[in-house]
Amino acid sequence: MAMRQTPLTCSGHTRPVVDLAFSGITPYGYFLISACKDGKPMLRQGDTGDWIGTFLGHKGAVWGATLNTDATKAATAAADFTAKVWDAVSGDEVLTLAHKHIVKSVSFTQDSNCLLTGGNDKVLRIYDLSKPEAAPLEIPGHTSAIKKALWCNGDQQILSAAEDKTIRLWDRTSMEAVKTLSFDTSVSSMEYVADGEILVITYGKTIAFYNALSLDLIKTVEAPASINSASLHPEKDFFVAGGDDFKLYKYDYSTKEELESYKGHFGPVHCVRFSPDGELYASGSEDGTLRLWQTAVGKTYGLWKCVLPEDLGAENSEQLYTTAPEIKA
Amino acid sequence: MTTPVSVLRLPRGPDPNSRGFDPSSPRFIALCAASIPTSAASAADPARLQEEQRARSVLRESFLRCLLSMSNKRVQFHMYEKVKVEATFGASDIDVLNFQVSDLQTPIGVQKEALIRCQDVISYCFEV
Repeated sequence: MAMRQTPLTCSGHTRPVVDLAFSGITPYGYFLISACKDGKPMLRQGDTGDWIGTFLGHKGAVWGATLNTDATKAATAAADFTAKVWDAVSGDEVLTLAHKHIVKSVSFTQDSNCLLTGGNDKVLRIYDLSKPEAAPLEIPGHTSAIKKALWCNGDQQILSAAEDKTIRLWDRTSMEAVKTLSFDTSVSSMEYVADGEILVITYGKTIAFYNALSLDLIKTVEAPASINSASLHPEKDFFVAGGDDFKLYKYDYSTKEELESYKGHFGPVHCVRFSPDGELYASGSEDGTLRLWQTAVGKTYGLWKCVLPEDLGAENSEQLYTTAPEIKA
Repeated sequence: MTTPVSVLRLPRGPDPNSRGFDPSSPRFIALCAASIPTSAASAADPARLQEEQRARSVLRESFLRCLLSMSNKRVQFHMYEKVKVEATFGASDIDVLNFQVSDLQTPIGVQKEALIRCQDVISYCFEV
């Protein structure tokens, strides 16, 4: 019997969700942080979507959010011209890093000692979190607002995407651009997959995969609609994408074949990411919600329960309920 | 004919009364340092640690009693950007993030009911 995907809706935000990130796998599971235009980023349990806490302090829309690998720290980038570092266990604000313009992107190094920021003032900044009063290292070069900045290659290099329609690869030590990719249109999203050194980029209706070290093109895939974000499965057998037609698309990475598409969101999808174990992916939308989707539809995982046809009449199915595709928390 | 996948329950949403980060959760208990860490000298010496802990309790208790005694009194708040306002103190939220006040006197008029964001406050004073 074929199973239909039941997305889990996480509500709580009151404005569009523009960015989301997963932590690594910790002894307490894995976690998810969402950046929202309502200025209140939220931390959730990654496998269930259960709300854990809200980081309160920003005075403007939060454009970027990230967690360190063990989910003990969070960082956020906001329209109030600051990036903030938070204790992700207590929810307390630990550091405010003042910038000269809207901050769009934040990224921790693997050891959580340094924070990379990028935003509308076109300059990449590297902060040493053990010396927060010290001035950050600044890397100018982009000629328009930076949308996304990520560490790569064992934190020895930096990848940045900007409104100037370029993606640049920078060397951390020399602080110089070693490679530049130019596009006809602004890149809408960028994801770095450390294991395998793959860069996932979206622009227009295209999802493109590059070698993150050489910036050589691996392959491109065309979607039916304008795509805002894509994510590659940790085992690199699938990738998912979402964009302006409100749908989530799932593709086979090797064959580039579109496998499935899912309706659910009531607005454009701004961000989508696979969980660190690949069992689910989360999407954030203009409609103010996050939705969790199963990679293997029908599998028992998190809040999803595999129910065999013969169990449906039995006593133990009382606690379960089959739902219409649209459910809200 | 496809059947939708069953779920055990829906994801839990935010608690309207708090910012979360439950201090009784296993992760919090295991990982959270005190908000003001123990001084290095006290960490080394158990007797000093006891004394420091007692001092913390005293300070905390007197802060809470201070909040209680402010109830319904006129309080002057000194805030950033050289802002000085006066209001009748109502209550504080559990995390001391906001103060609920009434009849807040501002340069542009009196606000009947307002929330003052604690991080914006430098100091406040009132008559006991």
